Amino acid sequence: MEEESLTDHLKDRPLHLAEAKKSGRKIVGFFPGNFVPEEMIYASGAVPLCLIQSGFRAADAGLAVMPHIICPFARAQVGERLLKENPCYNMMDMLVAPITCQHMKKVAEIWEYRGDLEIFKLGIPQQYEDDFEVEYFINGLKALRGRLEAFTGNKITDEKLGKAIELYNRMRELLRKISLMRRISPSPLSALEFIKLNHASFYADPVFMVEVLESVYQELRDKKPAAESIAPRILLTGPNIGNGDYTVLEIVQATGGEIVVEEICGGIRNYWQSIENQGDLLQSMTRGYLLDRVPCAFLRNASKKRFDYILQLVKEFNVSGIIWYELLCCETYDAESYYFTEKMGELDIPVLVLESDYSTAATGQLKTRIQAFIEILEGVTE
Amino acid sequence: MIELLKLCGFEDNELETELPRVEKVFRRLGITDEDIERGKQRLAKYYDIELKGLRKVFRLIMLELVDGLLAKEGGKKKVIYGFMAPGIAILGSALVSKSKEVLSIHQSWAFQVVVGCIFDKIVPVMEAAEKKWLKAGVVSHCANIKTLVGPIALGLFPKPDLLVTSGFTCEASPKTLDLLHEFYDIPVWHLETNLDRQSWEYPEPPMRIADLTAKSMRKLVRRIQEVVGFEITDDMVREVMAAKGKLEDALRRVRDLVENSDPMPLSPSHENIWYCLDELTLTIDGIAEATGAIDTLYEELKERVARGEGVVEKGAPRVLAILPGGQTDPRMDYLACKAGIAIVAVDFNLGAPFKEASEDPYVMFGLGSQQFTLGLTLLGRIPLIIEACKNLKIEGVLDRYHAGCRTTVADALIIEDAVKKELGIPVLVLEWESFDPRVYNHEQFKNKFEVFKTMMLGRRV
Repeated sequence: MEEESLTDHLKDRPLHLAEAKKSGRKIVGFFPGNFVPEEMIYASGAVPLCLIQSGFRAADAGLAVMPHIICPFARAQVGERLLKENPCYNMMDMLVAPITCQHMKKVAEIWEYRGDLEIFKLGIPQQYEDDFEVEYFINGLKALRGRLEAFTGNKITDEKLGKAIELYNRMRELLRKISLMRRISPSPLSALEFIKLNHASFYADPVFMVEVLESVYQELRDKKPAAESIAPRILLTGPNIGNGDYTVLEIVQATGGEIVVEEICGGIRNYWQSIENQGDLLQSMTRGYLLDRVPCAFLRNASKKRFDYILQLVKEFNVSGIIWYELLCCETYDAESYYFTEKMGELDIPVLVLESDYSTAATGQLKTRIQAFIEILEGVTE
Repeated sequence: MIELLKLCGFEDNELETELPRVEKVFRRLGITDEDIERGKQRLAKYYDIELKGLRKVFRLIMLELVDGLLAKEGGKKKVIYGFMAPGIAILGSALVSKSKEVLSIHQSWAFQVVVGCIFDKIVPVMEAAEKKWLKAGVVSHCANIKTLVGPIALGLFPKPDLLVTSGFTCEASPKTLDLLHEFYDIPVWHLETNLDRQSWEYPEPPMRIADLTAKSMRKLVRRIQEVVGFEITDDMVREVMAAKGKLEDALRRVRDLVENSDPMPLSPSHENIWYCLDELTLTIDGIAEATGAIDTLYEELKERVARGEGVVEKGAPRVLAILPGGQTDPRMDYLACKAGIAIVAVDFNLGAPFKEASEDPYVMFGLGSQQFTLGLTLLGRIPLIIEACKNLKIEGVLDRYHAGCRTTVADALIIEDAVKKELGIPVLVLEWESFDPRVYNHEQFKNKFEVFKTMMLGRRV
């Protein structure tokens, strides 16, 4: 039931966006990675849209302005604007670009150079051990607040911000609760279903999305537990899972594996932390979006922190193997995969490293490798 | 060996002390008699080694490599490396000027020039890095970084007491240092800066970014002081900056001469040698010596210009190259010369002036670092290139991009588009790796240069 209403909502969303735009509301896009406080955009009266579209066609179109050495997700963002077929990318009035990796930074620079979009760059300190580094991020948030106010003509009061935080905290909380239900075997919902819900949360109206998540959570809680699954339980990690980048998830499911938890930097909403909704809200957002989270691979000291965190998830979700899924040319995650496989190898935890450029040409090879990996895991489990 | 050292500017009276040290280093690097013969041939072929000034520069480069590899045997108690960390060369020079017990090296430039450009022996170093986390293939890890990881993996470089990097241009170098710390227990340090300059923050560099850089540099200075056990004062830093300013002025004079002479008096294969020289961690006296070498070179080139001599024919099409020539392999720039193309300028030498001034040397550094070609980001970089093309009457742009570097890769096609739209001159886009000689494809490059030249000459008609 909820699935249907969400599908309808997502289908009608371009119309809602067009109406919102017509009524004077701004559409503010932002790049994924969980550094941009969506609630601030929402509190400004604008419609926040996280840009997570993936796919070979858009990535291929991006080759017109970015060489093939740039990651396919970044190229897909450029490609979507060039193709002019995606309403989210077409209707955007402003982009908030967190300065994460060079790939995404360059997308922002190229759009900036083309000059048809208001762009705000949000500086992310690569390390944040010292006050002055944290302060730099906070100052960035202050500047963003000012820019959004000027752009939308609406003051972002603490009251409005507090309400937005409350809404998004509820969304994160529900996603967290749903995700944690996957600790039991079999999971009440597949990884593909969960990731699609997560992706929808970036696109749907947030109030509507919270209602959907409430119902989904309720439904899953009431669902009668099925017989215990013998499918190997897998953790999925890597830089990015964009909307539509579901090949690996589908193959794992089809070959008898079960992805039960994900640790992904971009494309998926980080739901593990809530934003403290009292005191200095910019400080709270700095904690939630920067300090109290597992750093992406482009940040300092990320490798060890991610390794420790994933070990914790492996135990908590009773995982028997890990799939490290990266996009081609993502050099920081690729470098980290070496460290990760070495260290997991010391603990006898199997890791499969996969790469993709979204092309279907490699699907057969992916399938063979995943199948072999699952067979190994089945052997380990026996 | 003696002949090679003389080609590299060593004087007779220093051979007694330097020869055993160089031999020791060459043995460690696996450089054989055959390699030395090849090295002499390459020096003679790709560089204007008859120029005394150039020989003196090669001597300084060779000495840094020898000092670096023999640091611990040479009585150095503390070793500090910098890698892709502008600013560390300045701090390093301040350190080595103050204490003979400290060795500081920024980047493996000297290693790249000697092992790569002179001896053509860099490939095994790359392969050593590729056996670690910088694998070969389509992911295209930066070969510059491989010249750091490779020697460490092979045990060629002494383990540093501190290894410093920054995020000035990318996050690949900081990532590498994290892993070097994890796998080799090397103490590492990250110099913080940010590339979030907004479109309305041009042309003047924003103070907020300069402040971040300056604060991070002062934090680094405190850390280095703990390592070396003595203070680095602002005056020490200013003294180095002043000395380096003179060296950069001298290099500017040489570049001006090359840019404005017809025929072009010096092959662009020397550009990477100037970068290397500028980044060597020399004492104040060493910087003065380097400046003297460049002054000598300038006088020699002036004479060459006066005689009407050049390395390409008079009237050869004038080209601006994006990025300097190969850092480990001079063949591409040499080939361009042979094809009759005059690469008179390189965008890497361009910079935008700024008005802001500060007493704080680190703030000045933070401001300046935003105004060089990559620090400016696309929005500032393109007008700089267009302006340089106009000023230098450039007839074509060699838009080569270093495949391992996402920053330069992503700019390439936009630069092509902008130059074609604004100036209508030919642009040759070339995928390439600035630090990996394996990408050199003689026939392909030769054909492309020939077509490029024809296009440029065609526009004259």
